[in-house]
Amino acid sequence: MIEVQDLSKSFGKVKAVQHVSFSAADGQITGLLGPNGAGKSTTLRMLYTLLKPDGGSARIDGFDVTESPLEVQSHIGVLSDAQGLYPRLTTRENIRYFGLLHGLNGEALERQIDQLIQMLDMQPIADRMTEGFSTGERLKVAIARALVHDPRNVLLDEPTNGLDVKSTRAMRQFIRRLRDTGKCILLTSHIMQEVAALCDYIVIISGGTVAAQGSPTELLRKTGKDNLEDAFIEAIGSEEGLQ
Amino acid sequence: MNKIWIITKKEILDSIRDYRSWTTGLFWALFGPIMMGGMLMLIGSSVRDEIEQPLHLSVQGQENAPNLIRFLEQHDVIVESAPADPEAAVKQGDLNVVLIIPPEYGEDFSSGRTATVKLVLDSTRQPARVDINRIQNLLEGYSTYLGTLRLVVRGVSPQLIDVVSVEEVDVATPQSQATLLISFLPYFIIFAIFNGVAPIITDTTAGERERQSLEPLLINPVPRGHFVWGKLLAAFPFSLASLGITLVGFGIVFNVLPVEEYLGIRIGLNILTLLLIFLICLPIIFLASAIQMLVASFARSTKEAGTYLPFIALVPSLPGLALAFFPVKPALWTMLIPTFGQQILINQFMRLEPISISNAVISTVATLLLSLLITWVAVRLYQREQIVFRKA
Repeated sequence: MIEVQDLSKSFGKVKAVQHVSFSAADGQITGLLGPNGAGKSTTLRMLYTLLKPDGGSARIDGFDVTESPLEVQSHIGVLSDAQGLYPRLTTRENIRYFGLLHGLNGEALERQIDQLIQMLDMQPIADRMTEGFSTGERLKVAIARALVHDPRNVLLDEPTNGLDVKSTRAMRQFIRRLRDTGKCILLTSHIMQEVAALCDYIVIISGGTVAAQGSPTELLRKTGKDNLEDAFIEAIGSEEGLQ
Repeated sequence: MNKIWIITKKEILDSIRDYRSWTTGLFWALFGPIMMGGMLMLIGSSVRDEIEQPLHLSVQGQENAPNLIRFLEQHDVIVESAPADPEAAVKQGDLNVVLIIPPEYGEDFSSGRTATVKLVLDSTRQPARVDINRIQNLLEGYSTYLGTLRLVVRGVSPQLIDVVSVEEVDVATPQSQATLLISFLPYFIIFAIFNGVAPIITDTTAGERERQSLEPLLINPVPRGHFVWGKLLAAFPFSLASLGITLVGFGIVFNVLPVEEYLGIRIGLNILTLLLIFLICLPIIFLASAIQMLVASFARSTKEAGTYLPFIALVPSLPGLALAFFPVKPALWTMLIPTFGQQILINQFMRLEPISISNAVISTVATLLLSLLITWVAVRLYQREQIVFRKA
């Protein structure tokens, strides 16, 4: 459960995020949709504690991101924009490192790693060093290490960026499966179709503020349009950023 | 605490697999001993050349001065007959110097007039200088010796003509060059420590940022300070190894080469001394890791870090340079300067001088305090959000 209240962040004179409020429920996929530079990643970074909000607050499972960052970090799994792996460690070692940092160890950790390797079809690359992995393989490792502690909340920054059609489908399938286990999923995307295909709840962000939010049907009703694409353009007031 | 150890273990494993980085570090550890060994051997061979080798001297007209020839032979000169054209031979560099004794020498000598001999030499040829000086000194010596005898025979004290006696004290001997070189030994040890940790620190800080793994890493529920300490500790074994290898290298150089013979001073690099130097250098490992960590954490890429770190490794050489030219007494203020105090102490260990325990303690504490301060700054740096999201 993620609750965002009046969140703001500036970098110098640039007001990246202004008074953003929304909440993301458990068992749902919530999408932050908006053109590049709209403030989606900045919002996400405040939620995963690497940026400190200038104003407003955000809570994850009841823990405030500024007051108890370590608790928040324990309750989230994050696929950030930066997905660098350790090239001289194997897939398993990469995942294990993050598991250990989350306080897992021993048999429980190894079982969890095995489960993730199976779930993400990584058996062939499980014991190879990650040097030279393809984009898809690297992404799988990054996801596995983000989920190694089985977090209740999963934050994904542009999860299908750079993936081919087949991998994108697999990725969406995987996200739905996570949702079906009752997790709270929050993802960002600048791709209309992606959000339409995946999300139960959509927050449209433009110029650092929330332009509209609601379930897909609510958005159609609010804007009076009969498809999401038109609703999106109506909400942000331009065609900027549309695929 | 446990998490610091997790980070340290991971960084050590990661770094060990990065063969190229740590082998470069090891090369720097061997740099000092190899360079000093080579220089000592060069100096040693020139010392031996000068002292042991007899002088080969080509003489034209040996028959004109049998006494002079005998005098030269008594002074370790091997007299050889000169080629037909001595000047050409010297000009071409075939011979360093040729002595020409003209036929009228004997007559002038017997009648008490100044007898003249000629030396053919090329004053611009450096390698010939040793030979030229030696033969000039011998000839002067012969002249003074006979002159003195003549005065004595006539009942005059030879001191009458010795108005001013000059004694030369030449400090620019090969020995003193070597002593200068030895003054740099402490710095080479410190240099090895700095360069031993540099590749490891670079990879775990600037490298982490460069390969985009810093952001995911910092999202883990671990206090930021733990990352700094974990990464620092991971650099320690590598710099320990560098320090150890350098010391073993110097130990071998100074125990295999007859250094005392070359230098005329005793350099006591036995196992106990090496062990003491090892201990006195331990705080520098902390300092070298901390300061390079701080700088490398500012760098956006390993390449950028690679342009900064070598300068840091050179900083401790500045007091070392001063030490080489102006011998400094191990005063309190010197011990308060990290790396400088240790260099003075190492020098004292090497020269088998007594060490004051309080100096060793002060130097150690000063270095540890500075290292802690730098680490504290690094931790503060890692707590800022700019550590991940820096504007390029």
